[in-house]
Amino acid sequence: MEELIYHLTNILKEVSGYIYPNEIELHWGLLIVIYPYLTGLVAGAFILASLVKVFNVKELQQTYRLSLLTALSFLIIAPLPLLVHLGHPEKSFEIFLTPNKSSAMAMFGFVYAWYLMAVLLLEIWLDYRKDIIIWASSEKGIKKWIHKLVSLFSSDISERAIKFDKKAIKAITIIGIPSAFLLHGYVGFIFGSIKANPWWSSVLMPIAFLFSAMVSGIALVLLIYMVIYSWRPKGINMQCLDKMASYLFYVMIVDFSLETLDFIHRTYEAEESIKILAELVGGKLFVSLVVIQVLLGMIIPLGSIATAKLFKMPEELRKLIYFVSSILILIGIFSTRWNIVIGGQLFSKSFRGLTEYKMTIFGLEGLLVSIGIMLSPILILYVLTKILPPWEEVRNP
Amino acid sequence: MLSIWKKIPEQIKRLSFLVILIVAGYLLISPLFIPPDFGKYGHFRASAVEEIASQQMNYVGHEICANCHEDVSVIKSKGYHKNVACEVCHGPAFLHAEDPGSATLEAPRGRSYCTLCHEYLPSRPTGFPQIVAISHNPMKPCITCHDPHKPEPPVTPKECSACHATIARTLSISYHIYLPCTRCHETPEKHKINPREFTPSKPSTREFCGGCHSIDAKSDKGIPRIDLATHGHRYVCWQCHYPHLPEAK
Repeated sequence: MEELIYHLTNILKEVSGYIYPNEIELHWGLLIVIYPYLTGLVAGAFILASLVKVFNVKELQQTYRLSLLTALSFLIIAPLPLLVHLGHPEKSFEIFLTPNKSSAMAMFGFVYAWYLMAVLLLEIWLDYRKDIIIWASSEKGIKKWIHKLVSLFSSDISERAIKFDKKAIKAITIIGIPSAFLLHGYVGFIFGSIKANPWWSSVLMPIAFLFSAMVSGIALVLLIYMVIYSWRPKGINMQCLDKMASYLFYVMIVDFSLETLDFIHRTYEAEESIKILAELVGGKLFVSLVVIQVLLGMIIPLGSIATAKLFKMPEELRKLIYFVSSILILIGIFSTRWNIVIGGQLFSKSFRGLTEYKMTIFGLEGLLVSIGIMLSPILILYVLTKILPPWEEVRNP
Repeated sequence: MLSIWKKIPEQIKRLSFLVILIVAGYLLISPLFIPPDFGKYGHFRASAVEEIASQQMNYVGHEICANCHEDVSVIKSKGYHKNVACEVCHGPAFLHAEDPGSATLEAPRGRSYCTLCHEYLPSRPTGFPQIVAISHNPMKPCITCHDPHKPEPPVTPKECSACHATIARTLSISYHIYLPCTRCHETPEKHKINPREFTPSKPSTREFCGGCHSIDAKSDKGIPRIDLATHGHRYVCWQCHYPHLPEAK
């Protein structure tokens, strides 16, 4: 009790204006910031992969498998922050047993399961199937059995079977794009439909979430590609990197326009919440929104990638710009999620005051757990690349 | 039949087997975990209703109280506390209703209980009876002057500050401190008893303030003056100047 009072007293010092008593402490903390961030990375990475199969962008072939594995490793972890936040993870499967069709949150389980099983796992399995069979035939010991199990003991690598795989992959990717939109659009939908909160309640929310997801996903794959391939013997393929940067640039323009449109629309509409929102943006969210999200996460990367392209800068400089820009974008999009989730709870529904978010370091909702959750997809990706190497040179012709 | 089976690609057969395994597993496991009475009335366990209904009751509701305490109930139903249930102050009365002899109820006698609702708070609606407990008859239990079943003040507040404490405090450091509230606000006598139905007035003309502040007003020399014909166009003075703290610095 004493600890609680100490905690609340500290927050109370930061409260300004008039707020309702149940608004002092935020209900959704850092874990709920991470959740849309992770699903966004998944959707973005998958859409990058689909560029190769559906839109036939040959330059990105090298990143196809890497994008799929990145999407899978982040998707496996995506529900974890929710489970940690809600507690009782052992009860989570009950949403599948007694589906509540009128709850958007409960339906997420099905969207997630569909995306994981019917899209991502299936596409990876079909794409790798031939290679896994060949690898298993020349391997020994545990690795052989892992590969045999992963291939579901399949053995048909006839031309007809491979042709079928390719056709099926294309079909799955085509289904996968709306599925990825659904997965991340859903997260925006949840926030967008909370009509009592003027910071969230906007029909643009799912679309804005989606485009920011694409931005973050492409930036993540670009970063992972640069880090991994700078250590690999084949090195970074500049054509591939330039193409990725171009797509990143185009999607960012759309995302930036959408966010600007949202901003203009809110300002023009000027509902009764506009004053408190202006105070929020100009005060408590100034650093995370104006400085990190817009300036560092959007304008500087947009400007630097445009300059790198426009002036045809030397290769090494371009690499440096892409590398720094993608890090800035990833931080910027994280900040976007922060500003939406935390920002939406900082102002009082009375529109007359602001509260404060105090992050804890220890505990389930704390910083350390969140860092652990954020790093675990990287670990999963490492294990996945050991079992299913995405490198071109191990691919069988 | 065999020819159709042969035409299906090998990988599809294996995947189908996996899918069948998952679906069969789901169908087999789900009855074990779904309570048999789930969904009978809605998206919940039907037996949950009985479980909740079988819990020990604590409150009985004011109708039961009125059965025995009709005299109090009649008085209370006409007073300001008509919407405050008996058990809010007297506590859960289930046991008392079952056996009035052995389980007796208590009424709060201290000052701290009434102030849960009646202590002055800026966010409480204007007109709601509020006091600053530290200066309002200190140490005296509320019930010595107020009957909680018919809470009308024995003496209506003499000072406006009894209810309008924020304004009174603001006014205390203002140039207008020596003006009585009624100089500007015409206040019907009934406002003290029924504040929300009989509200005080506000000055509605520029000439009202001009009575002291216009160039030709017959008032003290130190008072700031303006030319009503040219100053502030058609706005009423209090649209720009806050009369409780004019020209605050």
